[in-house]
Amino acid sequence: MTSEQRRQVKLLCYVHWILSKRFEVDSGVRDLYTLEEVVTMPGGGSLTCFSGAKLTNRKDLFAQIGWFVYYMLEGEPFNSKNKALTALMVIWCLENYKLEFDKEKVIEFINTVDTMRSGNSDISSWFANQCK
Amino acid sequence: MKRKIIRVGSSRGVLLPREVTKAMNWEFGSQTELTVDEDMSQVILKTIKIDIPDDYNPEHLKQIERTLKNNFDVLGGLDD
Repeated sequence: MTSEQRRQVKLLCYVHWILSKRFEVDSGVRDLYTLEEVVTMPGGGSLTCFSGAKLTNRKDLFAQIGWFVYYMLEGEPFNSKNKALTALMVIWCLENYKLEFDKEKVIEFINTVDTMRSGNSDISSWFANQCK
Repeated sequence: MKRKIIRVGSSRGVLLPREVTKAMNWEFGSQTELTVDEDMSQVILKTIKIDIPDDYNPEHLKQIERTLKNNFDVLGGLDD
């Protein structure tokens, strides 16, 4: 893993810890390998949009979001609240990029998307179509 | 508030009321630090603060916490 990927793992663990305290649910990582997979994009890339980087290419931004959502929901790396963590990070990211989007639709999508039918590129396309 | 010192095995102890543990966000296993001030006849019980690692931007973390606060209800409705 690169240092940036490790940093993102720590960030997700921190955010999940906050979530688990707020919702009084089980904290902790269920599967570290799966969590590493979430932040490891092909070619040594990582989810820089969640650590505050300002990507100028929208395609890269939605590719990262698609990757993150797919691997979080498919792998469920934490003991609890995987969907809530996914939605929280995506909402924060979209707001950070000052994009217009329907929050309820995003949450509904994260809650219902079937990772057996939709891959990371399908999810990426959905977000690209929903956000202005 | 007043509390009596009680026996806990061969030691002495003071039970912390629920409102105190709730206000301090203390749970079983939470780390605390006791400081004795003999001159003032007082004991101070503090939370051990954890420093955020240098490679984190505290403002970034605060933004995420604000997003959580603003969306608490809808995020709470997501089961998994």
